[in-house]
Amino acid sequence: MGKVIDRNIDIGPFVPAPDDDMLICRCEEVTKGEIRKAVHDGMWTMTEIRRYLRSGMGLCQGQTCSRLVKGIVARELGVSPADLEPATARSPMRPIEMKIFGCEEVDA
Amino acid sequence: MKRYDLVIVGAGPSGLSAAIEAAKRGMEVIIFDENEKPGGQLFKQIHKFFGSKEHHAKIRGFKIGQELLKEANELGVEVVLNATVIGLYDDKEITVKIGDGINHYKGDAVIVATGAAENMVTFPGWTLPGVIGAGAAQTMMNLHGIKPGNKVLMLGSGNVGLVVSFQLMQAGCEVVALVDAAPRVGGYGVHAAKVARCGVPFYLSHTIKEVEGDEFVTGVTINQVDSSFIPIPDTEKHFDVDTVCMAVGLSPMSQLLKMAGCEMEDNPKRGGQVPIIDDYGRTSVPGIIAAGDVSGIEEASSAMIEGRMAGICAAEYLGYCTKEELEENLKILEDDLESLRQGMFAPKNRGKLIEKTEEGIDISTNLLEKGYISEKEIERYPGVTHKVGIHPVIECTQNIPCNPCQDACKKGCISIGANITNLPIVKTEGNCINCGMCVASCSGQAIFLVDEDTGDGSSTVTMPYEFIPLPEVGDKGFGLNRKGEKICEAEVVSVRAVKAFDHTNLLTIKVPKEYAMKARFFKALA
Amino acid sequence: MASRIAEHPILGVQEKGKLVLFKFDGKEIEGFEGEPIAVSLKAQGLMVHRYTKKEHKPRGVFCAIGRCTDCVMIVDGVPNVRTCITPLREGMDVRTQYGVSDKPFE
Repeated sequence: MGKVIDRNIDIGPFVPAPDDDMLICRCEEVTKGEIRKAVHDGMWTMTEIRRYLRSGMGLCQGQTCSRLVKGIVARELGVSPADLEPATARSPMRPIEMKIFGCEEVDA
Repeated sequence: MKRYDLVIVGAGPSGLSAAIEAAKRGMEVIIFDENEKPGGQLFKQIHKFFGSKEHHAKIRGFKIGQELLKEANELGVEVVLNATVIGLYDDKEITVKIGDGINHYKGDAVIVATGAAENMVTFPGWTLPGVIGAGAAQTMMNLHGIKPGNKVLMLGSGNVGLVVSFQLMQAGCEVVALVDAAPRVGGYGVHAAKVARCGVPFYLSHTIKEVEGDEFVTGVTINQVDSSFIPIPDTEKHFDVDTVCMAVGLSPMSQLLKMAGCEMEDNPKRGGQVPIIDDYGRTSVPGIIAAGDVSGIEEASSAMIEGRMAGICAAEYLGYCTKEELEENLKILEDDLESLRQGMFAPKNRGKLIEKTEEGIDISTNLLEKGYISEKEIERYPGVTHKVGIHPVIECTQNIPCNPCQDACKKGCISIGANITNLPIVKTEGNCINCGMCVASCSGQAIFLVDEDTGDGSSTVTMPYEFIPLPEVGDKGFGLNRKGEKICEAEVVSVRAVKAFDHTNLLTIKVPKEYAMKARFFKALA
Repeated sequence: MASRIAEHPILGVQEKGKLVLFKFDGKEIEGFEGEPIAVSLKAQGLMVHRYTKKEHKPRGVFCAIGRCTDCVMIVDGVPNVRTCITPLREGMDVRTQYGVSDKPFE
């Protein structure tokens, strides 16, 4: 389980970095700079970051970027990635069309 | 809603193995897999596996997959393909997308064997078409018969990076470089050596600076990094490539277990977010069991044993076998698994720098830093001995759990002993008859048959050869050293391609006497 | 460009379905029935499957096993189809995807 990160710690101001334009979430096209800024805007959990930026909420559902985003957020907060609770795992685990998601098969 | 004794998610090596054990004990088993074909990643593994007989050693991965599938079918296991499990709820209810609808199932026991996903690293240009995962390369060339690219740069020197680099060359691609930010090769030295002797340069302590191209990859620039992974100025090297392949590790796909309420942990030794399990894969939720990479990244050989353990645990959980039978079976499987988890690449040694073998011999630093053993270093290993006449030379220099070479030799030339991680010893009193079985049995392609002096100023070197076109007797070319450099003229004097060798052909070349211990590969005249 | 492996040292000659015609952006090209659409495109040297919504950047095959969804295209009018795991059928209409549309960006 992730640790509860103390919200009172001072992580300092957002300092721009040369690789801020690096794309991290390939589906929703979210950059490293946007993720770092979001942390300074107060988004300290993986779930908050997801909701704020939509990173990991595109077609692939975070298959590729989750680990990368976690690393960036952890570094910004000065904690280990292992201390961060991953975003909530919920159905559907894979991209799925709403019309299928809503189509409950009744046993024949 | 349909009820089954056991629902398994994932028809890879662990899921199929679990199904076999459960079905053998009379359980009604169903497996769901989101893919079009079963077998997980096994059908892309065209190399021979390591281990001992119990671990399917020296059998190629895809053949193991075929065997597992056949056994599962014979036992009446229902494998549903194109079936994506989208949720795992309390009380082990499972929702599965099949076709255009959502189906509900209930498993009295559930085994989650979802495997792993590839990690990626970022660099400018990493989203360009032509930058791919190593798994993608394997899928394209080994399942669909298409080259991922013509000129490829491989990022990552773990076993996946090394094995896939070799497979790329087997598919006819050129591998221009193997790059890793780490200062040392991460995978088995034998895998590195077989790539290096084909002439692939290794760039350790290097990383990708950028990938170039507008619409797709046209080139890549790498640079050297210091011990803190900070790029060192003016160390750039450029390669014209059409493909950049990433093999930078795997992460368990454990979200279903988290969703089901299993206690989880972030464990770097297991590769990331994993369920907390006992020695047999049982999670904190009774009746939910994890097996294979989802509970910690390892090899397919371990996944199959974990799967079998999970299957038996599920059977005992529901009363299909007694506690005594469970314990008896688990003990045997645990020993098998434990023997695979030995040696310098064992999970417990992940991240450790090992400088000496278990025998106390210095590990080749050249192998770790450049991918091949230097001529100075090679003589210190017990597989490298000398005698008059033909004899095996085993360039196996790290403790890995593998022993088919010992079984292959019926003439007492090769000895490993009871501990399967021991380095093989070539005994000079053995009576080598040049049968070649050891060469073909070595999954690491590290065995050569050498006659150091044939009496006419020459020597002969027999090597494993898994490429096409297969040279013919009389073909002339060059002997290549362990680094893949042309060092002497060479002529093919024998080619052996028999069924027992399972596509590892034996090529014997004649080289000048002084190159007997130097020439390790052959390149025909263009 | 990348091409098909005629013969493989371990796998030999791989079996394929029958050669069929399908459309890529309106142009008729060949592929083997049953193989992933992405493989048929790759055999023709076609790398770009789509351009992204925000940055209009090219994307192609990345994971090849249906996970990353980078290779999605418009197939028979349906957007976001994962071409790396969708089998080719005769006469399919495969189009480059721009955002989620088949209309190139202005």
